[in-house]
Amino acid sequence: MSTTEQLVETFHRIASDVCERELPKLEASTMISDLGLDSLQVLEIVGAMERELKVTIPDDQLVGIQSVNDLVGLLQRRLA
Amino acid sequence: MIAVERDTRRAAKMYQMYATFFDKAEKERRWNPFEDIPWDRINPDVTDNLALCAETFLCVEAYLPDYIAGGLNVVRPSFGQLWFTANWGYEESKHSTALLEWLLRSKKRTEEQVFDLMHTLHEKRWTLPFNTSRQMTIYGCFQEQATFVIYCRQEQVAIEQKCEALRAVYRYAARDEVAHARFYMEVVKVLLEEDRDGTLLDIAHVSKHFQMPGVGVVPDYEARISVMREESNVDRDLFLQKVFFPTLKLLGVTRQDLVAVSAKARAERTAAAAT
Repeated sequence: MSTTEQLVETFHRIASDVCERELPKLEASTMISDLGLDSLQVLEIVGAMERELKVTIPDDQLVGIQSVNDLVGLLQRRLA
Repeated sequence: MIAVERDTRRAAKMYQMYATFFDKAEKERRWNPFEDIPWDRINPDVTDNLALCAETFLCVEAYLPDYIAGGLNVVRPSFGQLWFTANWGYEESKHSTALLEWLLRSKKRTEEQVFDLMHTLHEKRWTLPFNTSRQMTIYGCFQEQATFVIYCRQEQVAIEQKCEALRAVYRYAARDEVAHARFYMEVVKVLLEEDRDGTLLDIAHVSKHFQMPGVGVVPDYEARISVMREESNVDRDLFLQKVFFPTLKLLGVTRQDLVAVSAKARAERTAAAAT
């Protein structure tokens, strides 16, 4: 199972790719709204992480994600 | 010279969709803002915030002439969509009439205040947020569905504040909005059949740049929307839950489809920049 640190790193790499710019270093506590991402970019990042980690998150569970940690926690639960 | 719809089979299909929509509207949805709202059941003691929300929706609906002008031009090549837009304008005009009547009859605003506001609003012009008929049709799906959800929330607040008249205004308007959203969705389904990748790319584009129509034209829009959000618990999550995902589902599209086309477009952009 991936650690929180590994998943935050994966998020950073994929998010930088989606945004087409290198994002600043992230913490698990970073709020997604502080990264200047639009809603579709967030969904793109989630989709790319799902593909890479071979998990699927139901749409209704994506509601309420505010921080990187919220997403990482969700992925960890799906991976468990 | 305008490129009209030369594919007669497609034109007939679009017309049939409009005819079905219109027939249903005539049979099930016609209402009169002067006769069907229980104007004798206004609660004059509703909060100022609820009145401000009604005024905000009136402001947004006040740009109807611009929405119609822009909408008619962009769908001009398609007969069915053209006639839909004409009827859409009629139905939307009743929403602003009903909201205006409620503001005056509840005495929450004076005639002078309302018509001063209308004058201020019409000093600005609303312009199309997207350039093509397909993108505007997709925009219509999300925008009408979002307005439906917002009006349903406002209806609940009107019920809590015991104003039967305002409750009815939002009920009738919400019912129209969801019917409009469904028509746009039916058109988008046809567009997906014709060109799935191109339409998916447009859905992704519209989703990325989506804004409600009052942005940039209605005075103090952000402050007004903050009140509306507080009053009826409308936020980004509600948009995802009640607008974005349900719309995609009804269109037969997944968020993974949008992610895939966006990633492909980004890769093409990167490759083109490298050459």
